[in-house]
Amino acid sequence: MTTFLALTLTGLVVGCIYALTACGLVVTYTTSGVFNFAHGAVGMIAAFSYWQLSVDWEVPRLLSLALVLLVLAPAFGALIERVLVRPLYGAPIGVTLVVTLGLLISLIGVANLIWDPQTTRVLPKFFPGRTVTVASLVVSYNELLVIAAAIAVALALRSFFTRSRLGIAMRAVVDDPDLAALAGTNPQRVAQLSWALGSALAALAGVLLAPLVTLNVVDLTLLVINGYAAAMVGKLRNLPATVIGALGLGVGDALMIGYAPGTVINYVKPALPMLLLFAAVLFFKQERLRSGSVAGLRMPRTASSRQAVGTGVLFVLAAYVISGHLSEANLAVGGQGLVLAFIMLSLVLLSGYGGQVSLCQLTFVGLGAFAMGRIGGPLGLAVAVALPAAAGALIALSVVRLRGLYLALATLAFAQAMDKVFFLHALGSGGSLEVERPALPFVDVANDRTYFVVLAAVFVLGAIAVLALRRRAFGRRLVALNDSPAACATMGVSTTVTKVIVFTASAALAGLGGAFFGGLHGSVSNNDFLLLNSCVLLLLATIGGLYTVTGAFLAAMFYALFPVLQEQIPSLTQVQFLFTGLGALSLGRNRYGMGGQIAEVGEKLRRLRPSLPQPQEVARAAG
Amino acid sequence: MLQVEGVSVSFGGVQAVKDVSLEVPDGALVGLIGPNGAGKTTLFNVITGLERPRSGRVVLNGADVTGVAPHKRARLGLGRTFQRIEVFSSLTVHDNVLAASEARRSWAGDVADPAREAHALLERVGLAGLADERVDKLPTGLLRLVEVARALASRPSVLLLDEPGSGLDSTEAEQLGDLLIDLVSDGTSILLVEHDVELVMRVCQQLFVLDFGAVIASGAPLQIQNDPLVQAAYLGTRAA
Repeated sequence: MTTFLALTLTGLVVGCIYALTACGLVVTYTTSGVFNFAHGAVGMIAAFSYWQLSVDWEVPRLLSLALVLLVLAPAFGALIERVLVRPLYGAPIGVTLVVTLGLLISLIGVANLIWDPQTTRVLPKFFPGRTVTVASLVVSYNELLVIAAAIAVALALRSFFTRSRLGIAMRAVVDDPDLAALAGTNPQRVAQLSWALGSALAALAGVLLAPLVTLNVVDLTLLVINGYAAAMVGKLRNLPATVIGALGLGVGDALMIGYAPGTVINYVKPALPMLLLFAAVLFFKQERLRSGSVAGLRMPRTASSRQAVGTGVLFVLAAYVISGHLSEANLAVGGQGLVLAFIMLSLVLLSGYGGQVSLCQLTFVGLGAFAMGRIGGPLGLAVAVALPAAAGALIALSVVRLRGLYLALATLAFAQAMDKVFFLHALGSGGSLEVERPALPFVDVANDRTYFVVLAAVFVLGAIAVLALRRRAFGRRLVALNDSPAACATMGVSTTVTKVIVFTASAALAGLGGAFFGGLHGSVSNNDFLLLNSCVLLLLATIGGLYTVTGAFLAAMFYALFPVLQEQIPSLTQVQFLFTGLGALSLGRNRYGMGGQIAEVGEKLRRLRPSLPQPQEVARAAG
Repeated sequence: MLQVEGVSVSFGGVQAVKDVSLEVPDGALVGLIGPNGAGKTTLFNVITGLERPRSGRVVLNGADVTGVAPHKRARLGLGRTFQRIEVFSSLTVHDNVLAASEARRSWAGDVADPAREAHALLERVGLAGLADERVDKLPTGLLRLVEVARALASRPSVLLLDEPGSGLDSTEAEQLGDLLIDLVSDGTSILLVEHDVELVMRVCQQLFVLDFGAVIASGAPLQIQNDPLVQAAYLGTRAA
């Protein structure tokens, strides 16, 4: 009985922290309609700031706490709203997703820059050593503080939203911003305040959570992300349901550690919040088929097959010539860029053409590398395609009715769960799985220079295939589905089947990339396929231009060359995340990224030729 | 042939469509008119399966399709255009229609050359000269014609047109009228929502008038024109 009570208490404490973070998320989402993927990172930054003030600079703890929770965090939240979120109102989810993910990645970059990840930091518990015994159960003051804080916040939020003028105004803004504006409320001010409040709640959660775990940038960020599941239980709206979800998650988690058999704990426990997130997202209400809008999104022109093949041949030739001048290390770096470019082609297909969001692309890559490593040979290569394809199909079937934010959350949960349940055990945390290079006839892939050229050829073939697909019936159907699912359905196209096919194809492509990726360095570890890396991949692909093959190549090269730049300019250490994040933040302006801009310049050059009539003339001629 | 039987739709507490029944016989051109907000588009959404009715049935060519998914209704011969234009804005005019032709080929298998069919359809609606233009460069009226061509590419037996004439000038509207008459003589049944009275009076054999979600009158065009209830609905006065 005592064990049960002790476990429940531990769970309640963690649950309370989840509740705090989840409530903050709900408050910001409901008033601004922008889901803040960086919420966890805000909590992480707050915990580190608190450590900086109270431990490193020895500012009195209460003062540090007040500074972080009442000044820094709210100011930061308000700043995010003003600078990043406000231009995003009404923007498509793809853009808000990338921008807040960019913020997440940037904050991790900033934290790594300020607080050297090599140093161990400990944030002491509140009231260390002080305990009270309740019915044979030893409760620390720290635990009592967490529970008290959560109860206080819950009560304060409740009375704030039902009693105060501002709280009621916030609820009005949630229901109808325009109407609230007519009634004299300034929706932007209300949204800004709610972001300040949400940020303070994230900070509180971070500060309370940090003493219970180690002060680690990524771990802390991801732990706060666990609160997403609770927020989803409350359907991103309902605060009481969110709190209940959070407590249930915390207690369920703790009881599982106590009672479930060891193997189950090892495998499932770390992924429990993510499994719950996945389940909660799936039970979300089904949405109506979205209708598109005529506001034209100018997708860059698709290259003809002759252009694609011509450029491809030149590309491989260039790779061959360059490879002769590259050192062994640079061959590895360049090869990494090429294989990542190939992997990004899977995102061009899925997200660029098909408009589907995926935060689990590296999971498919990992499955491919795993198959190649375990089986090897031609069979291994085949399984490296088939296994991720099957996983992709399964994921697609379960999330097929989800779009945008919910699809992003479901794939996020899948990536994180796969990391904790599968890769950690199948590949080992520190250890790694050896992966042989895919054998090819007449080619010595063991030679690094040759493998570099092979990777260039593989990328070119992949690019030609993706472009060919885009020009064919299936490509048109994908783009059509992205533009207007409703119109697609009225011409007899099953949105489900189309989505499952594109997910499967994209996962297969990523898996094949995984086999070549594993072969490049000869081994892979679970660190290669972390959720955050998947996010970086998506961000980079978006920055480069999701709609173009060129964009995928540019983004991958940037990613691969970064370590080289760092070697030359040591001060660049750790800013890779920062740069990526900042790049993503700029995407509010140009949705098509670098590749899109290049295509646009090309189009303009073509337009300079006088033979093409202007649209008005054309319209008149048709009339 | 399309039958709508006792369909009602509510959004929250508002009843957008109240117990509406209507029928479009084989090869008939039936008009559905009424003031803005009368529930015409909502009824179209119910017929095509984008909206679920609270009660009532939709029967397409003799089969009850009330619970059938939108894309399956399309395969059973139901086509439509949208009032709020739903073209594929990243594709060219030709590819908008081609996508539908190819879709038809994938589920019916009776389209030998989708590209050729798409071109023929563009010619039929008078857009052949604009085939390679991006749709985002076209004026609204022409986009409606793109939608008509795209709907025809699915070779529907029942076609729902939601204000295809708005945004067209009088010559274009007349050409559209010719096209509709042509389609009906080929055996297609058409349900037409349209505000262009001239066009409606010219092509429709029967009219249903919707106001505040309910059918307030039905009959031959001339008869409807003189109906006091209809005049009241349009002019805003209450009939005695």
